[in-house]
Amino acid sequence: MGKLIDENGIRLDGRRWDELRPIKIEIGVIKNADGSAYIEFGRNKIIAAVYGPREAHPKHLALPDRAIVRCRYHMAPFSTEERKSPQPSRREIEISLVLRRAMESAIFLEEYPRSIIDVFVEVLQSDGGSRCASITAVSAALADSGISMRDLIVGCAVGKIDGQIVLDLSDHEDKEGEGDMPVAYMPNLDKIVLLQFDGIFSEEEFKKAIDLAILGNKKVYEILKRALIEKYFGTVDEK
Amino acid sequence: MLHGSEIIMVLVRTKVLPGDLLHDSYQGQPPPHTYKLGNKLLSLKVGLVEIEGKEVKLIPLAGPYIPRVNDFVIGKIIDFDAFSWDVDINSIYTAHLPAQDVFGRDFSPQTHSLTSQFKVGDILAAKIISYDRTKDPVLTVRDHGLGKIVNGEPVKLSPSKIPRLIGKKGSMAKIIESKTKTKLIIGQNGVIIVQGPSEGIVLAAKAIRLIEEKAHLPSLTNMINELLTREGG
Amino acid sequence: MSIKKSPIIENLRKIQMIELLSKEKRLDGRSLTDFRPITIKVGVIQKSNGSAEVSIGNTKVVAGVKVETGTPFPDTPNQGLLVVNAEFLPFSSALIEPGPPDEDAIEVSRVVDRGIRESQMIDLNALVIEPGKLVYCVFVDISILNMDGNIFDAAFLSAVSALLTTSFEKKVVKEDGNIAVQICKLPTRCIPISVTSIIIGDSILVDPTEEEESVQDSRLTLTFNDYGYLCAGQKGGSMGMSREQLFKIVDISKAKAEELRIFVKKVIENAQV
Repeated sequence: MGKLIDENGIRLDGRRWDELRPIKIEIGVIKNADGSAYIEFGRNKIIAAVYGPREAHPKHLALPDRAIVRCRYHMAPFSTEERKSPQPSRREIEISLVLRRAMESAIFLEEYPRSIIDVFVEVLQSDGGSRCASITAVSAALADSGISMRDLIVGCAVGKIDGQIVLDLSDHEDKEGEGDMPVAYMPNLDKIVLLQFDGIFSEEEFKKAIDLAILGNKKVYEILKRALIEKYFGTVDEK
Repeated sequence: MLHGSEIIMVLVRTKVLPGDLLHDSYQGQPPPHTYKLGNKLLSLKVGLVEIEGKEVKLIPLAGPYIPRVNDFVIGKIIDFDAFSWDVDINSIYTAHLPAQDVFGRDFSPQTHSLTSQFKVGDILAAKIISYDRTKDPVLTVRDHGLGKIVNGEPVKLSPSKIPRLIGKKGSMAKIIESKTKTKLIIGQNGVIIVQGPSEGIVLAAKAIRLIEEKAHLPSLTNMINELLTREGG
Repeated sequence: MSIKKSPIIENLRKIQMIELLSKEKRLDGRSLTDFRPITIKVGVIQKSNGSAEVSIGNTKVVAGVKVETGTPFPDTPNQGLLVVNAEFLPFSSALIEPGPPDEDAIEVSRVVDRGIRESQMIDLNALVIEPGKLVYCVFVDISILNMDGNIFDAAFLSAVSALLTTSFEKKVVKEDGNIAVQICKLPTRCIPISVTSIIIGDSILVDPTEEEESVQDSRLTLTFNDYGYLCAGQKGGSMGMSREQLFKIVDISKAKAEELRIFVKKVIENAQV
């Protein structure tokens, strides 16, 4: 028996291998923004807000045939165990980049030529899988803004702990485990739009991990759908 | 009078989210707010979809204002140069009102001063006369009911919900106007000017906020009536 | 330095390329899974502890390793440090704008860093002088000299080749308590190899050129250790990829990594003769 999964297959926080942490999504939390969302994913607490599409400033940034997307992923200094410098780290710059690419695969950029879409992600409290929680919040905020999107995007990580492939690593499992693999996914189009991993995976483990990530993402999708429907259509199902 | 058998098409409104499948073999160009993937028709927005035989109509519940030629809009002068004013029309793109539209063909920047007509901060009712993907929208104020608006309170509503505020043949707007003793100037760009006594303006603004929140509900008209009767006295 | 992207894709070229790809051909005559010619020269920078210049086709990079002493991170008192940094030099392409490393350079650094770290190529535990106080820091700096696609694999190969040929002055405490200096090889355990592929339409292309990258739908860099296990990966590009495409790339890349590893081994052996 390992140190992260007990003899009954239960992880330190009481979950089984294929269980997600609790997820809560709220839409429209930042009134000034054109679209926004708040997500709690385990102990992650993250706000995503969208401004635009709006005129590109400075103008030379604009493209004649489509919108450009800017993304800033930022962690609050109090979001981590030890205070994090407010200056953007290399990690934050890289996450901003991979989040932006994931969004670009969903947003219908051609509909908004010569404009800019600004997406801001602020991590108020971080836990394992914060980029996956972020992309889910971003896609909720984009849908809230009414920007045309080919599909929603959801994110959820998989990883390897005690030699086993499990869903959705916590902070502790990420640190102590053998591998972490954040995956973001467009559920209707069945496309992977964000994939990074580190750790040691055999080819078989890798494939198993991808399939588990897709399964987990489908669960996150149900939660995201429910949040959007609740916000836009109320809880009552009127006939 | 109608004779014979009649097939009544039941209009079904379905809630949709981006990526939802609307039709699995759709022929022709995709209607607004949808896109095609092979022959599949998918949604680009959070909204309501009406499917009637081959007709698919998606009513989005959020989204920026995209200018269309002939739209009646309400805008704010934000800048000007010797030849035109820049007008914020609550859209992605800034609109332009050419000085010739106001001063006529014999306009010359030497003899006419743009500030004599409109100043920065002025609110205008205008119509879009040209717009495409490559050029900013151009406005005109040369028509009945267009030009500077001198009184009233601007209220915003999601542009996609403006049709709900207007209602069938203007019914919803008429209810609000009569019960609050106000006049509504409704821009299709999501800006509304409410004119009238201040209590009326406050109540009309409340009704517009209710439309913002409940636009998706079929019972909206009843809810507005209820609000106006309850608070309008 | 940062890359000023050329946002205008040449539609004509893309159409041409897709047509060629449907016949499993590429503009430069390669098959879809072939790498361009690779050259690795080690020991090119005498003042470094280890160095390598790598060319893949017209892409050229040089990596230099410096081994210095420093304090370990508080949470890993018993490990030496590994720091990877990449930079696009201003003359490496017409599209480069001077300035601090932007997101693209940072991505290259972090992808190379993860591949080396996660494969456990360097035995960081063997780089401790005094636990919690003094350790060896391994700095890998990668300069991109000429850009013609697949910067990731060129940067990775140069870093790995430089590390494999790194030697440094190690302070050793002798039996009599005195400190002696001894020239040591960097303690390495394996040869991790990264393989980058892109997807254009339905085709998978290994080792893309700049031209091919400019019309890519998505990109995937995978790093493998000596046993064929995956140890790091990064998706790029602004379109999604299907599970099937992903698994196909894993299979192709795994085989390519084996080939490349044999090549690197040969280069290193020859260099040490």
